Amino acid sequence: MPDIVVCVKQTVDVYQLKPHPETLEPVFSQAQSKISDFDLNALEEALRIREKGGGRVSVVSAGPSINQLLIRETLAMGADEAHIISHPLLSTYDGRVTATVLSKLVEKAGRWDLILCGEASLDNSDYQTGPRLAEIFGVPHLAYVTKLEISDGRLKAWKSMEDGLHVASCSMPAVVTVGLEINTPRLPSLLMIRAATKKPIHEYRLSDLGLTEEELNPSVTLRELKALKVERRRVKLEGKPEELAEKLADILVREALAR
Amino acid sequence: MSLVIHGENPETIIRIAGAARRFFPDSPAQAVCLAPPGDEELRRLGGAGVETVHVLPENLTSQGPAVVVAALAMAVAKLGASTILLSATKYGREIGPRLAQRLGGSYATECIHVESVGEGLLVKRLVLGGAYQASLQLNARPYVIGVQAVADSAGGGAGIPRLERLDVDVDAPKIELLEVVKPEASHVDLERAEFIVGVGRGFKRREDLSMAEELARILGAELGCSRPVSGDLKWMSEDRHIGLSGKRVRPKTYLALGISGQIQHLVGIRDSKLIIAVNTDPNAPIMAESDYAVVGDIYKIVPPLIERLREKLGRR
Ligand SMILES: Cc1cc2nc3c(=O)[nH]c(=O)nc-3n(C[C@H](O)[C@H](O)[C@H](O)COP(=O)(O)OP(=O)(O)OC[C@H]3O[C@@H](n4cnc5c(N)ncnc54)[C@H](O)[C@@H]3O)c2cc1C
Repeated sequence: MPDIVVCVKQTVDVYQLKPHPETLEPVFSQAQSKISDFDLNALEEALRIREKGGGRVSVVSAGPSINQLLIRETLAMGADEAHIISHPLLSTYDGRVTATVLSKLVEKAGRWDLILCGEASLDNSDYQTGPRLAEIFGVPHLAYVTKLEISDGRLKAWKSMEDGLHVASCSMPAVVTVGLEINTPRLPSLLMIRAATKKPIHEYRLSDLGLTEEELNPSVTLRELKALKVERRRVKLEGKPEELAEKLADILVREALAR
Repeated sequence: MSLVIHGENPETIIRIAGAARRFFPDSPAQAVCLAPPGDEELRRLGGAGVETVHVLPENLTSQGPAVVVAALAMAVAKLGASTILLSATKYGREIGPRLAQRLGGSYATECIHVESVGEGLLVKRLVLGGAYQASLQLNARPYVIGVQAVADSAGGGAGIPRLERLDVDVDAPKIELLEVVKPEASHVDLERAEFIVGVGRGFKRREDLSMAEELARILGAELGCSRPVSGDLKWMSEDRHIGLSGKRVRPKTYLALGISGQIQHLVGIRDSKLIIAVNTDPNAPIMAESDYAVVGDIYKIVPPLIERLREKLGRR
């Protein structure tokens, strides 16, 4: 019966994000927020483990301004409770600050055997939170997990690495980070959504976590953020497949294969 | 600035060292290896500017990242390094944040540029799905940096590095590596390929990939793919996966077949000189990011394309 804590991040939906035509800075106000994709895979995996072996699934989230409705979605999917904190100093590029605050939320969630995180976030794609939490708690970390099994209190994971699948095992407590491939997150039914309104969301202040603003002083600060522009020729070719094949063959021979 | 360079094998260390020489031409570099490099590798490490190669005790990696990190932290302390450059590979991304956390330093990964500024380091990396570039200032020492080293940079170093054993005795939470399931003989170096044919979910069945294979063979190209093709469908090995969570490639030509071109894929191909896409959907995002956007069905275009190329190139 492992008790599991799942870390979820509220991020901007990068697919909706457009750059300002002149400054090239992203216009955050025109894009919606969502829970980072991989984190939903982490939550789904936690729920599947609970369905097999029992235990409690808690969600933790830290950010500059957490939208409770998004946290409700994770409860609707099936998490038992949530522990969250919103603070302006959490709008940071510093993974250490994030991990420090999350570790305090994890402690608030109580006893745990397993921390599950998405391997990276949709916005920053830093791959930091999981390994940092593992270091903070002094526990093993299994990364890039595409399949996870638990038996006799041990984890067995299939890690997707560049040179193949690494099958590894470790004892609990541990941190596991997962990618999109591990499962397909469930969509909550209306019934589940309604049931979720009764589940607790515990919201904390910094002092509740025994932290001061000084401790959130970032070691990494953002200096500039600009859209990348690569100009392509954008020549559109349309027509019958045979003609297109002929044209494409010409282009390949002329431009791609010519030395 | 004193640099320590670490990666999963001598090859990645050579690449990072090459990049390091571009970023910090005057800083001496030392490498920390998991196993002793061969003679040729040692010579190339020297060529990339590495002065000393420190070799960690064997079999650390099979015990997991915490053990490697504990050993590296000791090495960094012994060598007195202010900056640790790692590969921005899966291995490096497992090690880097944990090391930074242990050392109380600052961290950034997938950096495409690094430079010293006043009291810190400035790095550039892609964020927000790869569509934006962030300049970040790192303020806390030591700086742990994952370097996106795509190709060999000019070396300029000379001499064979000194080889030294690093005796470290670590106690850290272990994992046990039970087995490595290698994909069927793949081992491509996509980052160096000059011509890549990228395969996406426009392919309906695994057997249909033979069409792309044949095309790639005639063109002398390597095959790459979008994430679902290697990740979900497992039609190709993970080392062919291109994009944000896979390889960043920079071929002279990238030919995308049945790939929609979501931002996470585009970030991996942005440095290609020429991008050609074949897609049934004229509005697929890849089309606006291509030099030539061929609107059509791969199943109808690729077979005659192979025929035409055979004629034109006289290859069979
Ligand atoms: C955090 C995160 C990280 C990610 N990292 C990566 C990454 O590193 N790399 C990556 O690739 N993806 C990545 N993805 C996934 C990415 O968002 C897309 O889902 C993926 O790239 C889509 O792959 P695709 O183009 O093969 O498939 P689809 O999006 O399904 O596109 C298939 C395309 O084929 C076209 N098509 C269909 N039939 C034909 C035909 N007969 N002839 C011609 N064209 C046809 C369709 O019009 C469509 O455009 C990531 C996602 C997330 C959330």
